[in-house]
Amino acid sequence: MSELEVREKITEIIVANLGHHDFEFNDELTAEDVRGWDSLSHMAIITSIEERFQIKFKIREITKLKNMKTLIELVQSKI
Amino acid sequence: MISDVYIIQKATLNDLPFIASAIIAAEKGNSEKLSLATLFGINENQVFKLIQSMLEEEIDGCEFSLSSFLLAKINNIPIAAVGGWIEEFNGELPSNILKSNLIGFTFPKESIKIAQSKSSIIRDIQIERKQHSLQIEYVYIKDEFRGTGLVQKLIKTHIEKALEKDSDLSIVQVQVFGNNIAAIKAYEKMGFEIKKKFLSENCDALTYLPYNMKILMEEILK
Repeated sequence: MSELEVREKITEIIVANLGHHDFEFNDELTAEDVRGWDSLSHMAIITSIEERFQIKFKIREITKLKNMKTLIELVQSKI
Repeated sequence: MISDVYIIQKATLNDLPFIASAIIAAEKGNSEKLSLATLFGINENQVFKLIQSMLEEEIDGCEFSLSSFLLAKINNIPIAAVGGWIEEFNGELPSNILKSNLIGFTFPKESIKIAQSKSSIIRDIQIERKQHSLQIEYVYIKDEFRGTGLVQKLIKTHIEKALEKDSDLSIVQVQVFGNNIAAIKAYEKMGFEIKKKFLSENCDALTYLPYNMKILMEEILK
């Protein structure tokens, strides 16, 4: 799956979970930059990503993620 | 004097049951409401086990990090615990995200769905933690040792250790439920001041939480 496809699917997941698209999806984007991305919605977003891509994260992988670029790279490494 | 007999040390994996009990007691404050149980639809015994599972992961930088805890012990028996970490130290993720990762990977999926359905209860009292500040969380001391100055000593030790890691550290923050007057007074005595009050206007707040208002207190280090 191309980086662009992963990026689009993750965008859809974030929008579906937060109910808005008031953010610019770029490599440096972090949870802090997105309105409503709090501790509870974070859990839902991570679970949705696992389900959508049919992958399983390890906790140490998730806690090392710095931004969208590292998330996309992690997802790509697992599909 | 109690100061002659206790030692302060970093928590180890052997201390997990005590820390889990300390977290549960501190979460309740002076109520019987354990939000980790009420919001997630699980019981206190399950919370006790899940907290230990989260601590076992040894993910640094949040309130469920084993490395965050300092304990006071007498004859190798823990009598007090205080959590503390520097927020986003050394490029770590914000502690709220680390915490939710730990909960997300540890709690049953069904309980997470229950908590998500109740998110509006806690939304207004989720307090953003200041980057690079020292966060103090889960302060607990056994009843018989209250009033001995031990908690103050543990917090002071946290500050000393944090300053060794980051000499520019200037702010210490602690969050407390508004009905825990004894804790608020104790923090004020240590030099903390009330910075802001956060009120949950959700009518279910008092059903699920120890109180519907949380207070952010801060100490500025000279």
